[in-house]
Amino acid sequence: MLTKIAGGDIIDPVNGRLGKGDLWIKDDKIVPAPAGGAADRTIEASGCIVMAGAIDIHSHIGGGNVNTARLLLPEQHAAHQVRPATTPLSNAGWSTFQTGCLYAKMGFTTVVEPAMSPGAALHTHLELADIPIIDKATLAILGNDDFLLSMIRDDAPRTMIEDYVAWTVASTRALGVKVINAGAAAAFKENVRTFSLDDVVPSYGVSSRKIVKTLQAAVDSLGLPHPLHVHCNNLGSPGSADTAAATIAAADGLPLHLAHLQFYGYGTEGKRGFSSAAARLAELVNATPEVTIDIGQVMFGQTVTVSSDVMRQFSARGSAHPKKTVIHDGDGNGGGIVPYSYGKDFYGTMQWAIGLELFLLIDDPWRVFFTTDHPNGAPFTAYPALFELLMSREARTEMTAGLSRSALALSTLAAIDREYTFEEIAIMTRAAPAKLLGLTDRGHLGAGATADIAIYRRDRSIAKMLGRAAYVFKDGDLVVQDGEIVHYRWGKALRLKPPVDKAMVRRLEEYHQQRYGLSLDWFNFPDSAIAREQPFGEVPCRT
Amino acid sequence: MAVAWIGNREVLIEHAAAHAASLLSSSRCPVLSFDTDIDGTRAAIALAERAGAAYDHADGAALARETALFTDKGAMTVAPGETRRRADVVVIVGELPRIQHGLVGELAGTVPDLSTGNQRAFFVVGPDGMSVPPLNDGRKATRLSCGQASLAATLAALRAQYKGQRTSQPVSNFNDFAKALAAAHFPVFLFSGHAAEGLALEMLQGLIADLNRKSRASGLHLPANENGWGSTLASAWMTGFPLRTGFARGFPEFDPWRCDVARMIAAGEADLHLRISAATAQPQKKRARMALIVLTKTEKPVAGAAVTIAIGEAGLDHDAVVYSSRTGSLRSIDAQAASQLPSAATIIRLIATHAFAEALPC
Repeated sequence: MLTKIAGGDIIDPVNGRLGKGDLWIKDDKIVPAPAGGAADRTIEASGCIVMAGAIDIHSHIGGGNVNTARLLLPEQHAAHQVRPATTPLSNAGWSTFQTGCLYAKMGFTTVVEPAMSPGAALHTHLELADIPIIDKATLAILGNDDFLLSMIRDDAPRTMIEDYVAWTVASTRALGVKVINAGAAAAFKENVRTFSLDDVVPSYGVSSRKIVKTLQAAVDSLGLPHPLHVHCNNLGSPGSADTAAATIAAADGLPLHLAHLQFYGYGTEGKRGFSSAAARLAELVNATPEVTIDIGQVMFGQTVTVSSDVMRQFSARGSAHPKKTVIHDGDGNGGGIVPYSYGKDFYGTMQWAIGLELFLLIDDPWRVFFTTDHPNGAPFTAYPALFELLMSREARTEMTAGLSRSALALSTLAAIDREYTFEEIAIMTRAAPAKLLGLTDRGHLGAGATADIAIYRRDRSIAKMLGRAAYVFKDGDLVVQDGEIVHYRWGKALRLKPPVDKAMVRRLEEYHQQRYGLSLDWFNFPDSAIAREQPFGEVPCRT
Repeated sequence: MAVAWIGNREVLIEHAAAHAASLLSSSRCPVLSFDTDIDGTRAAIALAERAGAAYDHADGAALARETALFTDKGAMTVAPGETRRRADVVVIVGELPRIQHGLVGELAGTVPDLSTGNQRAFFVVGPDGMSVPPLNDGRKATRLSCGQASLAATLAALRAQYKGQRTSQPVSNFNDFAKALAAAHFPVFLFSGHAAEGLALEMLQGLIADLNRKSRASGLHLPANENGWGSTLASAWMTGFPLRTGFARGFPEFDPWRCDVARMIAAGEADLHLRISAATAQPQKKRARMALIVLTKTEKPVAGAAVTIAIGEAGLDHDAVVYSSRTGSLRSIDAQAASQLPSAATIIRLIATHAFAEALPC
């Protein structure tokens, strides 16, 4: 079917299209304007902004820890308004089904779950498969697992470590690799309670820095498009900016992505020993071109923190609201679930301001990514309000009226005039994520791109405009109209398929038999186990 | 071989599914109970949404206790693989379900390679006379009990004694336990809702939390029913809620009392019961105002059922994804003796196609 999106304001930074024009879709692809072609369907988009579908690179939408959070917090659903049941399970609060619908309504068409425990890959993909409409992807967690730590300890050849990383990515159907507080989960099992970049994992004699550098090199050497995705040490601690600065410095010329930098933007100044170090970190990011970051913006209200940083989550148990937590020692990382309410007190205000400072002080929208680390900083449903804060200084000023003055006094936020433009938003939420993840088929509106398109009707309220898309196309299917789901479909999980070394498979089979008394078959699964047609889409590695 | 019946009359599966669908459509208060794989669970929950039904595991009481630990209190848990490799003290808490005895025997037959001591000590908490899974080579677990006191009371006494507080009745062999804990690096408590009351599970977590103030310890959750825990996980991601959720008002509501399907049937609230389990169907008490539809592995109609449809067993007759306590996650298994019998999910979807205009989402 040939579709014409007529007369919209097209914002496509990748192809340099900025201004009024038409966009053509044939089936699931964007195509050049056909000579004299008559459209089967015309979408009138005058008064609308037309962008590629948005891509979220870091949102905890599925997998063991997310599901445990659901189990822990059935009362959380009371916050969800009951809505008309126009789509299957669409009013099931905080479910996979609702996740896909809510993302699509905002114009997001691809979302990455950034923390998949390799041993729970099947569970994770089954959850992702039940998220409708959008495409998904996931990053495999390494860096606290005995097999890798033992290889590093034993000075295993570089190629052997790369073979292990490749096997992990291939067998778990991941789009990349994440390391979470490298070595800390293993150290926590031996009763270590704090762990920094140059601390050493007991029994292995391997530092956190060594683990990060080893994985960074392996990911680069294998040609995985997405650089190593790093959750640094000391998340949430006063003074954690020093850790983040040291990790940025450790990038050392090779690509490195630092997740949710806001949670490391903390200095130790002021009478509470908690201050904003955002300006310092932003300056470091600006000066280190090989580093990309996402923010993990905090917004106010109740949420639940879900993290495979089990050591950090254990230490945060006292702040749980309501007072219940789950702490799990896994085969590698494990995880912790700690519900939390961000108040407009000194600490909440400081975290909120630090995130915005980072957004506004990092110059290059190609290297800063739009996240709340859902649900850790805030649920992704807070995105429209966050867009408004980034695009309107006035909105920020209005918001600060009810916040802690002493916190704001320790922040540079009030002095920042910058307002994001729609072009910068299109880069940060479309073009740059596609580039970072190696997804050449999306993030832009050029001919040949996948027809993932979001159309927003202009409105004085940015939050209203970007929170409720006028039209959304996914793979050429019109899925959202006037902010409501009009077509229910199933997306794919995007994955890499690096070649797997047979000798490594034999080695892993032997390891699992010896150490766990189980065949490797217990952890493998066929695509058919997902019980969806074409559950996966393959993304090529760099050559 | 006949595979479907309306009452005692053999019929085509299509006809049986259509009749089941008509009963479902005319029901005012349908309930579903199941003991099935992940695919079967997904289909059953999707059907429950369409039908406005409540759903539960076929033997939901023990699972409800385990679920309540997570929904009401939280927990510290450890993966089974880490338990095998790291636990230098293993404490069996209460009576474990028989399906978990093999894992206990395996722990007794191995040593923790990630622990410096390379050995394991075994304790068991519970009243005298409680059955204990067999350990290897005639080894015996040291009993920690307060005579015939309940598991919760024994755990409370154990926790109090560990904190140096006085108790009305001391725990047997406490000094041995305290000595073992002092030397241990990673003690693990094996627990299940199989026979443990909610208070016992909560008290155990209190003890584990106390231990973690200065050292490490955790609990290994061994579900009372593996299919049931798998269904709990699938229910959580599909609806946001565990089992004992209902769609009577058009949206999911979790209420472990109100949506206790066994209670709803006994109280006469339910007017239709769809029972899904390949296991041999227990004789059902005939209820005058409740229609019974049974999907089970059978060669004959189930007595009292308005509709019976034969299904295969997950992992035996067809490939499946199931929860495994051995890995603490979901696992894909191949059919051991593939047959023509349809899966539970296939039949549920067939019923749905007759009852509703749109196909189920899964």
